[in-house]
Amino acid sequence: MTALIALTIANIRSYLRNRQAVFWTLMFPLIFIFLFGAIFTGGNNSIKVGWVDADRSEASAQLRSAFAQVPIIKLVDLGQSDALEQMRHGDVSGVIVVPAGYARSAAEARQDPSRQANVIVYTDPSQTSARGSVMQVTNGVLAQVNLGGRLPAIVATARDLQTQDLNAVSYLTPSILGMALMQLGVFSAIPLVADREKLILKRLNATPLRRWQLVGSNIVMRLLIGIVQTALIIGVGAFVFHVQISGNPLLGAGFALVGALSFLALGYVIASFAKTEDAANGMVSAVQFPLMFLSGTFFPLEQMPNFLQVVARALPLTYLSDALRQTMVNGAALFPLWVCMAVLVGWSVVCFGIAARFFRWQ
Amino acid sequence: MSNARAGAETVISVEDLRKWYGEVRAVDGVSFDVGRGEVFGLLGPNGAGKTTTVEMLEGLREPDSGSLQVLGIDVARDPGALKERIGVALQTAQLYPMLTVTEVLELFRSFYRRSLPSEQLIEFLDLGERRNGRTSELSGGQRQRLAVALALVNDPEVVFLDEPTTGLDPAARRALWELVKRLQEQGKTILLTTHYMEEAEVLCDRLAIMDHGRVLEMGTVNELVGRHFQERTVFFSAIPGLSDERLAGLADVTGVKHDEGEVLLYSRDVPATIGALLAATESIGAEPENLGVRRATLEDVFLDLTGRALRD
Repeated sequence: MTALIALTIANIRSYLRNRQAVFWTLMFPLIFIFLFGAIFTGGNNSIKVGWVDADRSEASAQLRSAFAQVPIIKLVDLGQSDALEQMRHGDVSGVIVVPAGYARSAAEARQDPSRQANVIVYTDPSQTSARGSVMQVTNGVLAQVNLGGRLPAIVATARDLQTQDLNAVSYLTPSILGMALMQLGVFSAIPLVADREKLILKRLNATPLRRWQLVGSNIVMRLLIGIVQTALIIGVGAFVFHVQISGNPLLGAGFALVGALSFLALGYVIASFAKTEDAANGMVSAVQFPLMFLSGTFFPLEQMPNFLQVVARALPLTYLSDALRQTMVNGAALFPLWVCMAVLVGWSVVCFGIAARFFRWQ
Repeated sequence: MSNARAGAETVISVEDLRKWYGEVRAVDGVSFDVGRGEVFGLLGPNGAGKTTTVEMLEGLREPDSGSLQVLGIDVARDPGALKERIGVALQTAQLYPMLTVTEVLELFRSFYRRSLPSEQLIEFLDLGERRNGRTSELSGGQRQRLAVALALVNDPEVVFLDEPTTGLDPAARRALWELVKRLQEQGKTILLTTHYMEEAEVLCDRLAIMDHGRVLEMGTVNELVGRHFQERTVFFSAIPGLSDERLAGLADVTGVKHDEGEVLLYSRDVPATIGALLAATESIGAEPENLGVRRATLEDVFLDLTGRALRD
């Protein structure tokens, strides 16, 4: 145990003293978040809201014009089913439905304080900022419309609608975390091969140090870096871009851990077959770029051509990122969580098996 | 072939060791014993099989056949127990460039059940000035001393030094020789490999000359030289027009060899040979340049055994 701890500390010291390594492992993912975050949140901030007028009356038209005067929302006139469909796809952030018979019940409510007219407001609870804005606007407009009445005649009935698409930064934050954990694991092959090339592994093998201690300390160190990365990425997502972190944190942490392990295992596979540091560099690039771009990191899978979707389904990062989106930001599921877990665990077992068979210490 | 020093306990025993890499017979039937407290050398050119032999003794490579015993431990059966009790310095000693000397020593101490204090090792190896310096900033000699320090962390009974002075300047080389002698005074058994004749002559109580995976000769330096040469060596720069047959016919010459532009005459009677040589050169109007006499060395033994010089 002392050897494991001492070796872990030695690895961490070496890592921290290598400024470049620290910069790239910790800052690279953040650069992506800032870059894409700036692209997706910049510019026009108006919120698109679907407007469904089932009443088609003068009263409903008046209500519409009251809403239309609010600058931060942009109304899109739609039929009810279209509106909800578009909201599920993320084209509108909320839907306001003026039900049939609104004009009559509004008129009745004005006469008889015991009665009320309803408008229905659909929002997605996972998108707090959009939900908050839509509800705030609705309440503000209705308060204006109700002005003069003793009791509010027209009230909003809130309905939840789970949308498939998250806003871009919410989508990106767990994806970038998945990507960072993937890189953390895959890149671990390079120092490992370098240590073998410099005969450090051979020298260690000449001591009573056990192999599990060597591998264990390496994995512990990488996981510690992974924890720092995770905290940084979630922190920036939450505090800078107001990504609502919701879902199951324990399950999310579990997926991050298993994901990190499965890609560390892949790193060991690369280190098993790369003879030189240069070869390891090449193999790492060859593995990590397709993983990065084809696993739905930057845009959802369904926006990719069909044949690439098939490829994506074969890549483990697709499952890690999907699971992280589900457990961190209530993202819509591409796969059930148990499938994601099974893929990642299976991948880890296969990769560690291959590494155990082919990894050479000298 | 001579065995370990009489009376000394045998701590390393190698019997008919073999290691093939495909068609290449890296080690091809090597046997030797080393007694406690001995400095034993494996001498030979690069590729002779010295390092492969040592690495099998260290438990780093598995032999194809043969038996290996170190400190009474069967290396193949229990390498873990062996590694607690031996010290190893590999040929290339670049370890943890980002750590300091003290940090690397402390790291290695954690691997062993029993270890010496870092400060004691730093003092013993004269690394005090650099104790808080990164290992990447050490000079070649300091780096090699650190490698030896790491080999001594567990206060081992047997120390393996693989080419300990390769690439060092003469001063650093001599400093390391001193170190090996001090280790021997502490009673440690040392097995070292080298391709420097002088190093083998200065350090080794006994040595084995290796080439192409085999041991050609074994014994003390005096035994090896004495076994091959009763003679002294007369040497001079080669003279065109003086044939080997003519030289071999000179008084008391038992052999003629060439070594990089130098002619070596092995002579039973140096004055008689030199007299005859001068007469012969005068007769063709020449004069031997760089003429000298020396006792035969390991270099001559190696030349005699293999027909080529051992140089780096």
